[in-house]
Amino acid sequence: MTIQKTSLHEEHLSLNAKMAPFAGFDMPLQYSSVKEEVLAVRNHAGVFDVSHMGEFLVEGADAVKFVDFIVTNDFKNAENLKAVYSPLCRDNGTVIDDLIAYKLGENRVLICVNASNIQKDWEWISSKIAGFNCTIKNQSDDYSLLALQGPEAEKIMRDLGILSAVDFPYYSILETSLESEKLIVARTGYTGEDGFEVFSSHAFAKSFWKKLLKLGVKPCGLAARDVLRLEVCYPLYGHELNDEITPLDAGLGWTVKLSKESFIGKSALVEYKARYQLVKLSLERGIPREGYEVLDANNTVIGKVTSGTMSVVTGKGIAMALIQKDKNPADKKYFINIRNTNYEANFHTKAFITGGHK
Amino acid sequence: MAHNIPADLKYTKDHEWAKIVGDTALIGITDFAQSALGDIVFVELPEVGRTIGAHQTFGVVESIKSVSDLYSPVSGSVIESNSGLQNTPELCNAEPYGSAWMIKVKLSNTQELNSLLSASDYEKFLSTL
Repeated sequence: MTIQKTSLHEEHLSLNAKMAPFAGFDMPLQYSSVKEEVLAVRNHAGVFDVSHMGEFLVEGADAVKFVDFIVTNDFKNAENLKAVYSPLCRDNGTVIDDLIAYKLGENRVLICVNASNIQKDWEWISSKIAGFNCTIKNQSDDYSLLALQGPEAEKIMRDLGILSAVDFPYYSILETSLESEKLIVARTGYTGEDGFEVFSSHAFAKSFWKKLLKLGVKPCGLAARDVLRLEVCYPLYGHELNDEITPLDAGLGWTVKLSKESFIGKSALVEYKARYQLVKLSLERGIPREGYEVLDANNTVIGKVTSGTMSVVTGKGIAMALIQKDKNPADKKYFINIRNTNYEANFHTKAFITGGHK
Repeated sequence: MAHNIPADLKYTKDHEWAKIVGDTALIGITDFAQSALGDIVFVELPEVGRTIGAHQTFGVVESIKSVSDLYSPVSGSVIESNSGLQNTPELCNAEPYGSAWMIKVKLSNTQELNSLLSASDYEKFLSTL
C-alpha cells in the first residue's frame, strides 16, 4: 500500500514535525512538545490537519431518511444545519465506525468518518443505498479538513471573516465562502474545547493553515489530539469501539435511539444485554497504557485498558477500560497491572476534565 | 539535528550514558534519547541494593505516548537511585547529563567497560540512524 499524504504534508515537514504512519497516511504526531500543544488547545488555540478523515456526500430526496436508517442516533429529527454524532452498526449491532453526520439541507448530508475505516464504511454504506432516492459520493480525496480548537477559536474565525453568523452554536454547521472558495464550517471537534472544523479545497487549506500559524495558533499533532480526547473521555474507534462490540458495551446508549421506527441493527440492539462496561480510571502514580489488565480487589482480571496516557492537565495517568459486566465489582475498586504490580485506580463517574465547549 | 555528546562519558547503542569514576558508574539517558522520546512524564528506577547486569533493563522511562525500557551499560549493584526524578521527570529533557542522572552502580566487572562506545563512536552510530 502506498502511503498517502495530506495537502499540508510539506508544511508539516517544514515545521520539523515528528511524522508517523496513521491509517495509511504520513501524519504529524507532534511538532514541538505534546504538553505545549495540549495546553495551547485548552488555553488558547491549536490547529490540527485532519485531512486524512473521510467524507461522504449523500444527496437526493431521501438523503436524510437514508442516513437516519444507517445510523443508530436520531438524525431525521435533527434541525437543519445541525451535526449528529452516531455509531454506524451492522445488523447484529456491532460497531463498524463512529461518525458525524452533518445536515446541510433536507436533501444533502455530509458524513465524516474515521480515516482508518473509510474503505470499510464506504463498502457498507454504499451497499445499503438501493431503494432510497439518493446518491452517495466518496469525497475523501477532495476535501482537506482543518480543526481549529480552543477558547480563542471563535474570535480567530470571526477576525478572518469566515464566521459572520451571530448565532452559531456547538454542533452546528454552515456553508460559506471566502476568497471565492466554498467552505463547510462545523462547530465540532475532538478536544472537548470550543472549536471549528473546516472542510475545504486543498488550496484553501494551505492558505488557511499559514494564516492561522501567522496569528500564533499552535500546530498540533495526533499525539496531542489523543491526550485531549482522552482527558474528556471521547471514544476512539479501534480502542473503545471495535468490530466485536456494540455501542451499548461502550457507554454509548445515548446514541442508540431504539424508539426510531427502523434502523440497521435495531432488532439486535433491542434484545442486546451489554457484555462490557466502559469505565474511567486514573492513577496517583504510574501511567496506564492500552492493553494493561484491570483487576478487582480479589486479583481477578476483569478487563483491559483501551486507551491510556498521562493527562497534561491533571498530571495523572488516565485511562478508559472495558470491563466485563458480569465481573464489574460493586465496590468500584479497580486495580491496573503495570509491569507486574497492581496499582489501585480512582474510579471516575465523569470525564477527567470538563472541556470548555459551548 | 545535532545532539549533545559530552566527550568524558561512555555510551551504548541503547542511548544510555555512563560516567566512570573509579569502580562506580553514574548512568543516565542521552540527549538523543530524551529528544526522541519527547516530554518525559514518568521515570521508574530500581531500589538501592539491587543487582543489575549489563544490557539488562533496570527501569522505565515514559513519555506521553510511549514506554521505553532503560538498559544498564554495566553490571553491578545499585548504590544510589535518583528518586527525585519521580517528582521531576521533566529534568530528563532539560538536563539528561546533569540532574537527571538515574542510578549509580558499583561495578562488578570492569572488563565490560571496554565494550562501551566513546563519544565519537556514539556520534558515528547516531549518524547511521
